[in-house]
Amino acid sequence: MTGQTQSRAVVAQVAGAVVLAFLVMPIFAVVPASLNDASFIKIPPETYSTRWYTQFFDDATWVSALLNSIKVALLATGFSVVLGTSAALGIERLPGTLRSLAVGLVLAPLIVPVIMISISLYYVTRSFGLYGTTIGLALSHSLLCLPFVVLNVGVSLKRLDLNLVRAAEGLGAGPWRVFRTITLPAIFPGLAGGGAFAFVTSFDEVVISIFIAGYGAKTLPVKLWEQIRVEFTPVAAVGSTVILGLTVIVFILARWSAAASNRPASGRDT
Amino acid sequence: MIRVLASHGVAFRQVSKRFGSVQALRPLDLDVLPGEFLTLLGPSGSGKTTLLNIAAGFLDPDGGRFLIGDRDVTALPPRSRNIGMVFQNYALFPHMDVFENVAYGLRVRGVSASDLRQRVEAALAMVRLDELGGRGIHQLSGGQQQRVALARAMVIEPDLLLMDEPLGALDRQLRKHVQLEIRRLHVEEPRTTIYVTHDQEEALVMSDRVAIMRDGRIEQIATPAALYENPANAYVATFLGESNLLPVQVLGTEGEQTAFSLEGYDGIHHLPRAGTDVPPGPALLLARPETIRVAELDAPGIGAMVEETVYLGELTATRIRLARGQQIWMRAMNAPPRAVGSEIRIKWDPVKARLLASEPTE
Repeated sequence: MTGQTQSRAVVAQVAGAVVLAFLVMPIFAVVPASLNDASFIKIPPETYSTRWYTQFFDDATWVSALLNSIKVALLATGFSVVLGTSAALGIERLPGTLRSLAVGLVLAPLIVPVIMISISLYYVTRSFGLYGTTIGLALSHSLLCLPFVVLNVGVSLKRLDLNLVRAAEGLGAGPWRVFRTITLPAIFPGLAGGGAFAFVTSFDEVVISIFIAGYGAKTLPVKLWEQIRVEFTPVAAVGSTVILGLTVIVFILARWSAAASNRPASGRDT
Repeated sequence: MIRVLASHGVAFRQVSKRFGSVQALRPLDLDVLPGEFLTLLGPSGSGKTTLLNIAAGFLDPDGGRFLIGDRDVTALPPRSRNIGMVFQNYALFPHMDVFENVAYGLRVRGVSASDLRQRVEAALAMVRLDELGGRGIHQLSGGQQQRVALARAMVIEPDLLLMDEPLGALDRQLRKHVQLEIRRLHVEEPRTTIYVTHDQEEALVMSDRVAIMRDGRIEQIATPAALYENPANAYVATFLGESNLLPVQVLGTEGEQTAFSLEGYDGIHHLPRAGTDVPPGPALLLARPETIRVAELDAPGIGAMVEETVYLGELTATRIRLARGQQIWMRAMNAPPRAVGSEIRIKWDPVKARLLASEPTE
């Protein structure tokens, strides 16, 4: 009986691993592809070289696309962290039905097809003179980033002991001081996680960017998309590897800073 | 030398609060004297925590006013009330060390660095945690955390100290120790304090006065001794201490004596009238277990049967069955053991027994 369930568990785990590998391997395949010496895609490469990296970083259009992406992602993260945290704080205080309505509204960009959002934003940014600008693109991305911040901060807020806030108020602290000294440290893990999601969401966003980046705010994913429509060169693989690398780094940073800020609080749970 | 730190008393005037269909507080008046340690004692749902939260400013009353000294603070937010609060779960700031927790209220008040250090250290010394300023909160035991919470609330020199079941999370032995510690601090430096608990022992040990609460009302407010000896009604009698309540018929008052008869027994019993203000008719006789004695077989008393004896070390508790099946407990020191089923005669101390108005059983 137990032997049978055990072997079933092993089969399930192996199957899961195979499916996961099938899904994840292509993502990491861009790394060896970018290191191929030849001028075509071949995995695994016969000879390794970093010459496509040199070409990527020597090409002003690639570098400006990369810098644009970082700039837009940082701005979008900033917007969505500030707005999302404010929204999460407000939502926490709403009564039941109004709260679910507000949460639904914030989450809507995750559900509404991105193509519809893109078309709407195309019109809106054009009429406000934001089309093709870094700010315009960052604001647009914030729409997609916001849900991650609201959700992550919301989870942290639920865990925040209301008595901590009351204790600070009782000791004479005003609302801003309570937020700065009590609430903010408590929700920081959620903020870091939400911020990381926000950064990555903006950093690899293509659909909205294609519609409204224009020439002025062309990002790395848009440049990649344009490149691949012509030819999948190893330079494109370098671009993909850069996105992959930055994504991984951002998440590691978020996890690390959340863990660092959370340490004393989690020790108290015992 | 005793110095009263808080020269303010506080007062609730017709304070009421409703949550949905539940009347948490009926319009209620309560005065706490300057430097007094007052305990709100009652079961959960009796309104004691609601009253505390209204005092702190975390809840707005539906009606009525709350005064500190003669200042009406009903409309003021918690931060403007200068109140020290100790929470049941301590609510210490987990991302700050012990020193910073205690210093929080002083930093808010803009106290200068040298003065701040001195006052925090004095507060930590007061709760005997001098050496632990640099510790993280999670490195402290429950009792130590409780004392940090106390120091944090007291260091701001509050006009009123509020404590919401601060010992609830401690084990029994530690709780007794901290009770005496809180009592010591209060006796050394009396400050106006409202303490909420459902533990009668805590209330008796620490309080100057105790208010017994039920269903959003104060049933009785008095010193611990007065509550125990002269409870206003059967609810207070059963809530505080062990009690035997026997249904009786009050016959009337003759001179200094109130006469009553006990169901199942012939004869008329008398109690001094003092403290018994019960109209003729059905009533309850309150006789604490320690006031019941075995009488000589030919002396006045009532016949009863021993049902069970329990050895409690210095005391022996005996369960006794009366004529109509009523059961009462007797507790006495050095009582000779009595066989279960043996017939005895018992009597109660007429000076300590009380007659209470009977009320419908809950």
